[in-house]
Amino acid sequence: MNVRRESLAGRMWTARWSYAYALPMLALLLVFIVYPIAASLGYTLYKWNGIGDPTDFVGLDNFRRVIDDSIFWGALKHTFLYVAIVVPVQLFLALGLALVLNQKKLKFASFYRTVFFLPVVTSAAVIGVVIQLLFSNFGDVINNILRDLHVTHGYIDWLGDPRFAMGIIIVIGIWHTLGYNLVYFLAGLQTIPEDLYEAAKLDGAGRFASFRYITVPMLRSVGIVIVLLALVGSFQVFDMVQVLTNGGPYFATEVVNTYIYHLAFGGTGDVDPDVGLASAASFFYGILLIALSVVQVVVLRSLARRRAAK
Amino acid sequence: MQRRTLIKAAVAAAFTPALAACGGSDEKAAAGSQLASWDWLVSQADWMDNEIKLFQAAHGGNTIRKTTQVTDKYPDLFALAARSGTAPDVFQIARTPTIQEQVSNGWLLPLDKWATESWKSKFGPGWFGEGGNTFGGKTYSAPFNGAGSNLQLYCHHGLFKQAGLVNGDGTPQLPKTWDDVTRAAEAITSKGGGKAFGLGFGNSQGGALSWLTEIFTRGAGSVGGTNNLDYRVGKWTYSTDRNYADFINLLLDWKRRGFIFPTAMSASDEQARAFFAQGKFGMIVNGVWSQAAWKESKFTDYSLVTLPSPTATPQGYFYYGQGSSARMFGISAKTANPDAAFAWLDWLYSKDAGQRWVKAGLGLSAYAENNDPSLVDFAPFAQYVATSTTNLPGPDPILRNPELAKVKVAAVKPDINDVLAGLYTGQLKDIAGALSELDGRLNKAQEDGVAAAAKAGAKVSMTDYVFADWDPTKPYVVKPS
Repeated sequence: MNVRRESLAGRMWTARWSYAYALPMLALLLVFIVYPIAASLGYTLYKWNGIGDPTDFVGLDNFRRVIDDSIFWGALKHTFLYVAIVVPVQLFLALGLALVLNQKKLKFASFYRTVFFLPVVTSAAVIGVVIQLLFSNFGDVINNILRDLHVTHGYIDWLGDPRFAMGIIIVIGIWHTLGYNLVYFLAGLQTIPEDLYEAAKLDGAGRFASFRYITVPMLRSVGIVIVLLALVGSFQVFDMVQVLTNGGPYFATEVVNTYIYHLAFGGTGDVDPDVGLASAASFFYGILLIALSVVQVVVLRSLARRRAAK
Repeated sequence: MQRRTLIKAAVAAAFTPALAACGGSDEKAAAGSQLASWDWLVSQADWMDNEIKLFQAAHGGNTIRKTTQVTDKYPDLFALAARSGTAPDVFQIARTPTIQEQVSNGWLLPLDKWATESWKSKFGPGWFGEGGNTFGGKTYSAPFNGAGSNLQLYCHHGLFKQAGLVNGDGTPQLPKTWDDVTRAAEAITSKGGGKAFGLGFGNSQGGALSWLTEIFTRGAGSVGGTNNLDYRVGKWTYSTDRNYADFINLLLDWKRRGFIFPTAMSASDEQARAFFAQGKFGMIVNGVWSQAAWKESKFTDYSLVTLPSPTATPQGYFYYGQGSSARMFGISAKTANPDAAFAWLDWLYSKDAGQRWVKAGLGLSAYAENNDPSLVDFAPFAQYVATSTTNLPGPDPILRNPELAKVKVAAVKPDINDVLAGLYTGQLKDIAGALSELDGRLNKAQEDGVAAAAKAGAKVSMTDYVFADWDPTKPYVVKPS
């Protein structure tokens, strides 16, 4: 028996109230996201300092300059390094903590949740200033503690030494946004029906088996969203780097967003703001991320197809 | 009705102090001709208020209504006032737009009616010239500030004495040469026992390494320092002038030997100044502006020297182009009282006002005789005043060819600050290669800027930057081309 598929228009009409509810958000998206992106596309074709109207047409030269700029590629490398470390470590820690905090028998669970969520509600700029004070502007406080504990021998300029600065940013980044993912995972865990675990227990499943065959599959859909949000958040790393190191020393911690910011508003020294070049860098970065997303989708789909074929 | 009244009152109450705070306006009761005077002399307000008081006493009937604007908002506020025809009678000339643009916009009144040759002659030679304060043969401003050393090497008395760096009379033994600095840094570091270091700086904003390089290489005879071309050849010479590589090697040697405060690269300049005052290191390169902060924190136990050089006497100095130093105040083209406005401007430019400026520790005067250390009570500032001999008039390409104002040279990235940071942290290994690459980019940017201006019709060439007859040890008076 053939089931007649409803046309797209028909399905849209059926779900008209859903679209109506989505309209205000769509309007805001168009005004504050889509329009600025479209408008700034024009700026990519000009050498323009952001004051007055752009007049110095340079065509695609801004894109050429970005592609030829080794600082951009260094910034891209640092961004990917940040994402590659922060996302998996953060998700692993967040899931582990969520599993612990989800235990019914755990005392003071709310207190622990608050403690782990506290960094999230603190502004990155404030955290950056405090860390800057601790590691640098209080001079030798941290170094003296580490030396007394025999962790280090000499003094280390944590934020001024290219061997350590990016590491500090990554560690702070993990700590700062861990709370988000912890809450997301907790929410996901609490949607799993308790009777599934009880049934598994009756069947003789241990903790690990329950985790592997119940928790992980049930968390898969929410997990994909969490991974996606973590990736998006990490690719947007900016404020912590700007406050802690300003991308230095010698671009050792420059990420793409600080690179764009320095182009748009003038960095250190006498560099003139160049909104056109910054727009080109933004677009180029966006194109790279879209290309990566497409590759990721293709790979995931082919893996899913293979899994389904088995 | 009542609610409306209440709202009006609340709005007025909220905005009145805010507006007063924004403007720092110093309203005075008018009597006779009243002049509006604008400046951004926030920390020099006491001096300005005193000058107003003295001027009003000497010129009965004329009153000055002073407004001190916030420094970074001044250009916008002034441009707004000038465009709307409400510019003050007398004002500090905004840094932007350029004075050329302000003149061509018709914002400034030519002073030639009063600024006669004899009036100009009191400032000494070389202060007035086309492109600096004179445009189309008309004079629009005059020199106010004298020039002292741009940067100084400050020495902490306590640490010098603790390290045994004292003269026979008990005063600290201040370094004059590169070797002296090395010896002092070594002595302070070894006596400091990990608690005090020889040298320190705060490079988190990116400029401190340039300051260090600037003061040491200028002393060695590198006339471009870290901010200018070498006008003897009209090019950037980081890689061809060996002083730069020599100093960078010396700096890296200090770092290797542990003479430099460990968190210097990530500390801010403000914090580094505080560390210096706390005795965490014995020497820091900074500007005269830091003296006010130290004075405020009750730290006065220091001395300064400038231009340490490889030999006993500096081979080079700081140089000022008369272009930018040659102006401070101007008169509005729209003033209703030009004579009274010039009287006030003339007062500000008087020798006596300049002397009071120096005495108050605000800076140097355009009149050389005012820059007498014995006039100053505060010893470190007196030492700074004494450095006025280390800042000489130098070549000023725009004074020689005003068309050069049309040349826009794009800044390069990485710049000297970045390269120095890269070399200091070890991210860049090859000093000669890094400097050569930087020179290449800077010189190309200069040539491109000149070529673009020439293409647009400006009469400019790279030879406009060459002053082959310049002897860096002597004051240079720019001759018009």
